[in-house]
Amino acid sequence: MADHEKEKDKEKPTTAETSEAQPPTGSASARSSHAGEEDVASAFFAEPLVGFDPGEISGTLIVIEGMDGSGRSTQISLLQEWLESEGFAVQTSGLRRSNLVGRDIDELLAKNAVTRLTLALMYCTDFFDQLEHRIVPALKSGAVVLADRYIFTLIARSVVRGINRDYLSGLYAMALRPHLTFWLNVRPETAFGREFRKAQAISYWEAGRDMSLSHDLYWSFVRYQTMIKREFEAVAKRQNFIELDGEASVPTVNKLLRQRIAEQLGIRATKYTPSSALAHLWR
Amino acid sequence: MVEGTDGSGKSTQLYLLKRWLEIGGYRLHFTEWNSSELVKAATRRGKQRRLLTPTTFSLLHAADFADRCERQIMPLLQGDYLVLADRYIYTAFARDGARGCPQKWLRNLYRFAPVPDITFYFRAPLDVAVQRILSGRPKLKYYEAGMDLGLSYDRPESFRLFQARILDGYDKMVESDNFVVLDGTLPVNKLQKQMRDIVASKIDLKRFAPRADEAE
Repeated sequence: MADHEKEKDKEKPTTAETSEAQPPTGSASARSSHAGEEDVASAFFAEPLVGFDPGEISGTLIVIEGMDGSGRSTQISLLQEWLESEGFAVQTSGLRRSNLVGRDIDELLAKNAVTRLTLALMYCTDFFDQLEHRIVPALKSGAVVLADRYIFTLIARSVVRGINRDYLSGLYAMALRPHLTFWLNVRPETAFGREFRKAQAISYWEAGRDMSLSHDLYWSFVRYQTMIKREFEAVAKRQNFIELDGEASVPTVNKLLRQRIAEQLGIRATKYTPSSALAHLWR
Repeated sequence: MVEGTDGSGKSTQLYLLKRWLEIGGYRLHFTEWNSSELVKAATRRGKQRRLLTPTTFSLLHAADFADRCERQIMPLLQGDYLVLADRYIYTAFARDGARGCPQKWLRNLYRFAPVPDITFYFRAPLDVAVQRILSGRPKLKYYEAGMDLGLSYDRPESFRLFQARILDGYDKMVESDNFVVLDGTLPVNKLQKQMRDIVASKIDLKRFAPRADEAE
């Protein structure tokens, strides 16, 4: 293996290159109307998914992004109830929820015995398994899919760990472009408090402990989440993120979400108060 | 590094090459496609329940390869080891390509992989290769036979059609990826002689001989 020095250069994901590499943002129409006449390519970030016709899609894909502690899951529970009360079928998706590798990733994370590239590819497998077996079938049947995070979090996490951005957008080239992407933006300091209160602890990965940023858990969390947040800021415009203030109260954020989603679905933004089962979230 | 369709004789030849180098005392590491513990459970689950699509099939193998690459292949190359690989990324390009994955996407997926110094491609005519596999195996597995492509309901026939596509994929890479093409129908010992001659002429084997402090 005479020229392994050259080979090192070929390992592109580790290069520090930060060129413009996000998937191209499609025309504005790609996100407003979604039935039929769209150019096939614009339904995806760059390449069509093998064996799949975007013309068959009649549902709506809504992504909620935001760091841990930004209120994502609370809002998704409330939105699901609201949409169901409005008569829409709802499907949800999220990280590590695939039947194929969800549990395997949990195990890898627990053992902390995995390198960053392998982990990125496992998350990518998890994503496409859900896309093909959960998201796409639901969209074909006309359902509303609420995605608790999407490729943006997956790409950001890997980028801050030094994997080439271009490489990552290539991996996710066949991802479906969401109709709406909300970004619940909060300060890491706020998120830390909320997360800590939930479990009386902060997980190793949530705090980015693998990155050796600080021995102090709080500072590790804040620095890591700030890096992720900067990645989001960098792509927010290109990806048409709808940025919401995640520090506002749950009802306030929920109202803004419902207004924008109602507009997308072509329904009237009706009043909503959570049922007693979810009332504890409404504060 | 060896590539070739199933039944082309590549694994036998690589084994013999490995024995030759081992007996010569060279530092080497042998690695097989799809052998990491990491994704074994997932692959099994995916195959049993037929959950795998062309995309996830390809991604799982890439995760497996990335694991071996980051933990074995790269560090060993840095440490001046010979690395022998039974199948490499070209297997993915040929096979996943036959399943419909775009070449551009596949090339990007594996671009972290070191480029081999020698890539042996054992070429055997389709009929020979298919016959070798069919005669030695009681039943072809679902994904192995490419049943997921829906080419034919008959497994041996599906396998044949799938292998034809893969062979075509390999043939297309011969020039672009500098394959050393060997005739898989030659007698085993003749083929092995060719292989050893090529390795000896292209690689400075002295670099991989035991260091003084490692002897004994």
